[in-house]
Amino acid sequence: MSLLNIKNLSVRFGDANAVPVVDGLDIEVNEGEVLAIVGESGSGKSVTMMALMGLIEAPGIVKADQLQFDGHDMLSLKGKQRRKIVGKDLSMVFQDPMTALNPSFTVGYQIEEVLQQHLGLKGKAARARALQLLERVEIPAAASRLDAYPHQLSGGMSQRVAIAMAIAAEPKLLIADEPTTALDVTIQAQIMELLLDLQREQNMALVLITHDLAVVAETAQRVCVMYAGQAVELGHVPMLFDSPKHPYTEALLKAIPEHSLGAKRLATLPGIVPGRFDRPHGCLLSPRCPYAQADCKAQRPDLVPHAHGAVRCFYPLNLNSEVA
Amino acid sequence: MSTTPTQTVLTARDLTRHYSVSRGLFQPSAEVRALNGVSFELEAGKTLAVVGESGCGKSTLARALTLIEEPSSGSLKIAGQEVAGASKAQRKSLRRDVQMIFQNPYASLNPRQKIGDQLAEPLLINTQLSRSERREKVQAMMQQVGLRPEHYQRYPHMFSGGQRQRIALARAMILQPKVLVADEPTSALDVSIQAQVLNLFMDLQEEFNTGYVFISHNLSVVRHVADDVLVMYLGRPAEMGPSELIYQRPLHPYTKALLSATPAIHADPNKPKIKIVGELPNPLNPPSGCAFHKRCPHATELCEQSLPELRLIDSRQVACHHVEVINS
Repeated sequence: MSLLNIKNLSVRFGDANAVPVVDGLDIEVNEGEVLAIVGESGSGKSVTMMALMGLIEAPGIVKADQLQFDGHDMLSLKGKQRRKIVGKDLSMVFQDPMTALNPSFTVGYQIEEVLQQHLGLKGKAARARALQLLERVEIPAAASRLDAYPHQLSGGMSQRVAIAMAIAAEPKLLIADEPTTALDVTIQAQIMELLLDLQREQNMALVLITHDLAVVAETAQRVCVMYAGQAVELGHVPMLFDSPKHPYTEALLKAIPEHSLGAKRLATLPGIVPGRFDRPHGCLLSPRCPYAQADCKAQRPDLVPHAHGAVRCFYPLNLNSEVA
Repeated sequence: MSTTPTQTVLTARDLTRHYSVSRGLFQPSAEVRALNGVSFELEAGKTLAVVGESGCGKSTLARALTLIEEPSSGSLKIAGQEVAGASKAQRKSLRRDVQMIFQNPYASLNPRQKIGDQLAEPLLINTQLSRSERREKVQAMMQQVGLRPEHYQRYPHMFSGGQRQRIALARAMILQPKVLVADEPTSALDVSIQAQVLNLFMDLQEEFNTGYVFISHNLSVVRHVADDVLVMYLGRPAEMGPSELIYQRPLHPYTKALLSATPAIHADPNKPKIKIVGELPNPLNPPSGCAFHKRCPHATELCEQSLPELRLIDSRQVACHHVEVINS
């Protein structure tokens, strides 16, 4: 059975008739798997995971046929029960480590707090485990860093501390929301390697939310591409990158400079991602799509499974190019 | 003005910028050498990319080039005119020739001024054009960057991030500067929008034959736009030369590490990743010798003791004691 099972998730802000920010999303994550959710800003990738963590507050409305994590129905869980799971079996690393840590407490205190809450460790035992965790995330001179405040650490170090806190209770699923976007390239490489090491070591599932397709190509096993609140393509790495089925996936790949080496201009999609209030009537990509036909503008396609994934398009690309 | 095919628009010689930083009431102030001996030449219509991690002096270089800050020492020539010692009037005309674009276009546009007025302001200050002539020029420029005429009356908050960067680009290019300094111009944009804006950059360069100084940490973007690349580490140039040469065969260990750390869609599985440890050292207390030696896999005692000079090797300049050994 899969670890995380999301069926027909929708998130709206405002009343029940508001345009959904996330619309009809199905996601499944197996134990020990690395899934990447890719999309541009406003595609709903972060909101999806916030909904799972129970971090969407009124006027946000979360609806789903199923929102199941490790056998628990996350939708019906209330406060205290939820807190037993979130932070322990299900934890999250955010984009900006500086704002994820509390500036008024030492790094050691913040890690020990997690250990006490979820594992009941206190005093010396908690401190020893906190030190172990800092060493595990490769912080140099870890013993002296326990008493450091977040402002005394660099961005990369703070992200390591945030990761130490997230893995303190050995979660089954770690959600990393743009964990390296705020960091320099050499530090990004270090942090990604650390996350993958931890993932293999603890056989932890990892959901990586990112806009950087190159990072995805190097780390994930499966990818979910989102556009304007909908999943438009699901597939495996590297197949999704070699033969994208959805025009949007193809356009994203073509827009990366790496793809057009030697070319004078990059291939682009015209226009921008539609906002919440100007969603087109038919397929959400239809106004920008070079392959759009009349029925694309009239009707919204469903996410249709194929041999190696799923695609939300009436005229998917590269379907025949696949070797069966 | 005659435009010979190789017209040098920007010449920097040993540009240096030091800041003194207060360390408290009774402590002597410390000196940060944000920029240390950077030299390059930029020709009209070409792009020099400056790459490096945060704190390497990229933005300090941009501030020096745009005359926002005076360099501590070294010489800077814009279109053949020496900046140091220039009179007030000369400086004013030099500023016209060097324009700048920033990372966050929302912060660099005035939220309370209409787009049309913001685009016309450089013309109002620097030219004798009449109101209707200015308006005409602004409309033409707006069309060139892909904005519609009705956008003239709108305010910055009514635009998307990509459109705002187009506006910033239009404002910078409206005086047809000789040099455009772009500091991380696409870092805040999504991939598909980034591609649109990069294409616009290239179109405008072709049209106006502007020299670009393109500052970025995204190496795959740099490869697309740059003719020459300057790799910086802690205020000093590590490697500088023609872009394709450096991407094909980087020589400096830091350049190699940067390229190896950059994720790629179709990464070469046979190329092992270079693992680089640690972080950028504290600029208040830089390491002795080569600034990179603490993180460098090839460092020896020599690197700890003496600072490597830039040397001309294989058609590019490299600052490393052991280039020959590492790359043989």
